Amino acid sequence: MSMRHIWAVTRKEFNHILRDRSTLILVLFTPTLLLLLMAYALTVNIKHVPIAVLDYDNSPTSRQFVQQITAGQDLDIYAYARDMSQVEAMLMHGQIKAAVIISPGFASDLQALKGIPMQVIIDGTEPQSGNFAVDHIAQRAEAFVNQALATQLQARGMSLTSLQPFDLRVRTWFNPGLKSQNSLIPGLISMVLGVPALSVALTLAHEREHGTLEQLLATPIGRGELLLGKIIPYIIVGLINVIIIPILAIAWFHILFNGNFLLFFALSALFLFGVLSMGMIVGVFMRTQAAALALSFLVVFYPGFFLTGIFFPLTSMPEAARLEALSLPGSHYAIITRGIFLQGNGLDVLWPYAVMLIFLGIVFTLIAALFFRKKLG
Amino acid sequence: MLRRVWSLVIKEFIHLRNDWWLPAFMLIGGASELLLVGWATSRPITNLPLMVLDHNRTAQSRQLVIALENTGTFQAPQQVSNMGTIEDALNRGKINAAVVIPPDYSQQMVSPNGQPTVFVILNGAESTPAEASLRAMQGVAQDIGQQIVVQRLGLNPNEFAGFDPSLRVWFNEALSEALYTTPAELGLMLEFTVLLFAALAFSRERELGTLEQLLVMPFSSMEIILGKSLPVIIVGFTDFLLMLAMVHFAFGVPVRGSLLLLMILAFGYLLVELGKGLVISVISHSQHQAFLLVLLVGMGDFMFTGYAAPVEGMPQALQWFANLVPAHHWLTILRAILLKGAGLDVLWPHVAALAALGLVIGIFSLRFVRGALD
Repeated sequence: MSMRHIWAVTRKEFNHILRDRSTLILVLFTPTLLLLLMAYALTVNIKHVPIAVLDYDNSPTSRQFVQQITAGQDLDIYAYARDMSQVEAMLMHGQIKAAVIISPGFASDLQALKGIPMQVIIDGTEPQSGNFAVDHIAQRAEAFVNQALATQLQARGMSLTSLQPFDLRVRTWFNPGLKSQNSLIPGLISMVLGVPALSVALTLAHEREHGTLEQLLATPIGRGELLLGKIIPYIIVGLINVIIIPILAIAWFHILFNGNFLLFFALSALFLFGVLSMGMIVGVFMRTQAAALALSFLVVFYPGFFLTGIFFPLTSMPEAARLEALSLPGSHYAIITRGIFLQGNGLDVLWPYAVMLIFLGIVFTLIAALFFRKKLG
Repeated sequence: MLRRVWSLVIKEFIHLRNDWWLPAFMLIGGASELLLVGWATSRPITNLPLMVLDHNRTAQSRQLVIALENTGTFQAPQQVSNMGTIEDALNRGKINAAVVIPPDYSQQMVSPNGQPTVFVILNGAESTPAEASLRAMQGVAQDIGQQIVVQRLGLNPNEFAGFDPSLRVWFNEALSEALYTTPAELGLMLEFTVLLFAALAFSRERELGTLEQLLVMPFSSMEIILGKSLPVIIVGFTDFLLMLAMVHFAFGVPVRGSLLLLMILAFGYLLVELGKGLVISVISHSQHQAFLLVLLVGMGDFMFTGYAAPVEGMPQALQWFANLVPAHHWLTILRAILLKGAGLDVLWPHVAALAALGLVIGIFSLRFVRGALD
């Protein structure tokens, strides 16, 4: 290993990137642009969910109930339905996300303390807005029931809370208001910083496709030096993004950042080492850029997106999938980013994940170097 | 003309045969990846680590813990003896939720006007499991609350329906995760397959310097475009059929509507994405650039498929923009035909939008690609 040799390869690779301004801009800013795009789309605030009301009771009580659940900006009445077939049609057309069906005898059952005979129907094809509507209706129904039955309860000498006696007091740590973007955006950093790995796979295949790999190998540069020299520019590209991304996340999207920035930077460098080595393995095996690209989508990009616990928790995955997730640098790094951004964790908590990143990086590099030798040889 | 187009198609397939990894990944890759991702993630959230600090230690408090365990959302709850353990575990991200039962819990349960209180702490750093925990706990609280009400008011438990609205889910009665996540995953993988393949069409020839050779041959630019497009369409459509079979047979997503209509619209959607891919292909100087552009466009489109966040909750500007994204209409159509059994009478606005977008993108890409080739 000679620093001069590695540096020569790195400089050559830089020349490749710098030669063409559009490539430079794309390579440099794709991770940040991706995050920006996704963060903007993920900052959702569900409001004005269109619902239909089918009121079979049609009493002053039921009308009052409908008024109460649709007060405010959360739910909008799209239409009053006359029968179920209309509700069905509106759900089918996607005009409404939920429907409230008030049964006959709503008012009388309520007064008789038999319950609140009503049904909420949601569209299960994309249930997020529907679930939101259900939670909202349940909350307002509680207040409405207490109000409607206040005099009755007093007559029986009971307190107002008697009908919902169980009190669940919920506090959310690290993410007040339990906003999903606060947790998703730090997690997605692990996915966007994986993009340079695909570039690494491409550049190795590029040399082979153009037949310049032989030329490189004819120079006194060793194979390990070649591999290292090739990934250094992309580690630098990654680290530039590591500086830009938290600034954007904090300033633009108001994501909390409770941890230490230097630690974040250092652990991000470890992650880049691990994930870029994965890209290197792909590049070593494939002869053309197109094939390298297709394979790196399958082994780096999709798993980095779906299997690293950003959207679906690792603990709920089947055992075999969890094992695969453990072999992805992104799973460990997603815990690190959330830990530093939200929990403000230090190395005392995060060290096992850092060790895993180093371990995976070394294993992947060794595999790449081993097969690089074999393939050439 | 047909013969010349055909010879170009043959040339493309010879390319593919020489580098057989590429078609293998394009064809089998999407479907097998969908199988893996779907198998790992399209299931209810379970097995979440939970800690319980029980200051009450009575039959009632134990019943509560058992009820939490029975929801299936949590692992066997870990009993701890002080608050410090919980705080430490939360800080370390070891648990998703904790429950603290105060000393007077059972007393409040039995006293006629009591209000049993339970404290819940959620780990908001992981929002999806936190939300699942909250949902499970609210369900338990509701059940226990209802039992208390029945007891206190001396009601007949068989007659009492509860003071919470009953819920029904249409088109997905069991609210199975697979039914709404796997179609979106299919959409993402199909789009990337077509975009990538199309984007490499010209950028590859240009980078390797073979584009000039192709241009001096007696092919018109239209013939070259057709020759480049046919393999993409064949591979893309086969990939779609494979993934559809996967979604249906492996994940139980029903096909309630017309399969023929779905195939025709899928074909149309592929043409739209093909047009986008060809534009990327001619504006890129290298395969590297083409790939980065595909990534930006593809991920941007994926945000409008409702996988991670519902479109109707996005900022107004993005909701308008969603109408210009072909993948948004395609996913709406795909879900509606698969799950709702919708036909053209329902779907025509989305089909029209897709057709209009296809027309604009198609004309633009044809002119653009021809201009670049001539």
